[in-house]
Amino acid sequence: MTAVVETEGLTKFYGKRRGLEDLDLEIRPGEVFGYLGPNGAGKTTTIRLLLDVIRPTRGRMSVLGMDPRDPAVRGRIGYLPGELALEGREKASEYLGFLGRARGGVPGERITALAERLEADLSVPMGKLSKGNKQKVGLIQAFMHEPEFLILDEPTSGLDPLVQQEFLAMVREVRSSGRTVLMSSHVLAEVEHVSDRVGIVRSGRLVAVEDIAALREKAVRRVELHFDAPVPREAFEDLPGVRDLRVEGAGVRCTIDGRPDALIKAAARFTVVHLVSAEPDLEEIFLTYYSESEEEGRHARAGVQEPA
Amino acid sequence: MPALVSKSLRDYRRSLIRWTIGIGAFFTLYLSIYPNISQNKDIYGKQALEKYPGALRDLLGGLQDFTSGAGYLSSVVYQLFGPMLFVVCAMLLGNRAIAQPEEAGTLELTVTLPIDRRRLVFERFVALALGLLAVAAATFLLVWVLSIVSDMDVPADRILAAHTGVFLLGLFFGVLALAVGAATGRKGTAMAVVGVVAVGGYIVETMGRNVDWISWLRWLSPFHYYLDGKPLYQGFPVGDYLVLAGATVVLLITAVLAFDRRDVGV
Repeated sequence: MTAVVETEGLTKFYGKRRGLEDLDLEIRPGEVFGYLGPNGAGKTTTIRLLLDVIRPTRGRMSVLGMDPRDPAVRGRIGYLPGELALEGREKASEYLGFLGRARGGVPGERITALAERLEADLSVPMGKLSKGNKQKVGLIQAFMHEPEFLILDEPTSGLDPLVQQEFLAMVREVRSSGRTVLMSSHVLAEVEHVSDRVGIVRSGRLVAVEDIAALREKAVRRVELHFDAPVPREAFEDLPGVRDLRVEGAGVRCTIDGRPDALIKAAARFTVVHLVSAEPDLEEIFLTYYSESEEEGRHARAGVQEPA
Repeated sequence: MPALVSKSLRDYRRSLIRWTIGIGAFFTLYLSIYPNISQNKDIYGKQALEKYPGALRDLLGGLQDFTSGAGYLSSVVYQLFGPMLFVVCAMLLGNRAIAQPEEAGTLELTVTLPIDRRRLVFERFVALALGLLAVAAATFLLVWVLSIVSDMDVPADRILAAHTGVFLLGLFFGVLALAVGAATGRKGTAMAVVGVVAVGGYIVETMGRNVDWISWLRWLSPFHYYLDGKPLYQGFPVGDYLVLAGATVVLLITAVLAFDRRDVGV
């Protein structure tokens, strides 16, 4: 199957300012791709390039097997902008009707059903909608024509937790119907539960693409063990993957990278009365990527400055 | 009607109604004092008008004839204020095509619809032209009725000729605003360009009649192709109006090409 998004050396400069440089990205059919990075890293630039809102400085891309310059491809995409602007006296329902007609017709029941699901009031003039309600209108218009490919830029911003859960359920439904989603966020926690893969972008460059499952395996886990009697420190020292070891009487605290196997086997020689293992903190891994790439960048720069 | 045209017209509806009322009020006010003027020929006659300094008379279109119906209409209503009201109305509508929604951020979703960029500009132009046409048609009917009520004795086809000129002039400036907005995305820039071209064009056309060193500039002024033919006296200046319409088409093509090749919202 051909990729939903394929880019090669995709680059965008705004004058001299780098928006995105040499992006090679592949998004596969049927996956939910989380696109992560801090504000200003190049997430929105990538998304706008894919939708032909802005044009690349250089590089190639195809979306759903087509050139994004072809307007027909946009009819197969649902798009939620990162900064959604809705204004004026027009009612949200009228605006959605217009967007539906421009995309070739959307049944009114589908709009109503989505509005009920997200608890959005479409009879209010758009200029009077709160941030959260605008975001709901944005989600409705992105989902309503059941597009093959959804591009959602910071979709959960402004949504309250219950609506966020409903939204994540909608994303899962899209995936189970075989359609593809690209969603950006600056917080991993927002996308980790629905994403199959995540790409991490920083200062205009893609620094990593990871399987969420693989990321979990690499995840840093804090573990606390309590025994019925004090344990010797040596029993836990130099175990593979175990860091930050602290042994205090009958308690052992450490962080483990990846599999907890060695630690469990070491602990099994004593009587364990209590075990606490925190949810793998993907955020921490995520930040590890950042600091690594930052260091690489620093080394690269230092190398350039060395006299020949 | 394409979705974008009907949507734009729906967005413009309120301001179209307001402009029709505003321009209508202006025409009503001026046409309702005409009987007063036509009955006091000694106050508003030739000799009275000659007291005005020459340059000021030029700016007001010569002020040759104030008391006849055609003279009053052409020097008071269709000379300066009527066209300028249409120009401002058209400029504001022209800005709502691209620049204003772009600055507000609402254009981003519009350009991601499966509508070709060139088509988007063209459909916004169609909405602008239809909206302006509606204002022009309503105000034409008003002037025609008022001219009969006030006994102006000006044939309807002459009023239609002048009103068509005002419409074409307004459309030209509306498309100028649209084109600058399509090329730059800045409504302030579009308003500045329209302001300079409109005021400069008007001064060049009126002063240029008697000031030799700027008279050659008159053919550059959009007002030249409206005022020079004296439509209220001589009927449709077909050639001049075709020039105005042609210039509008050139601006439209420029707008379409400029918008098609640039980044939106950066």
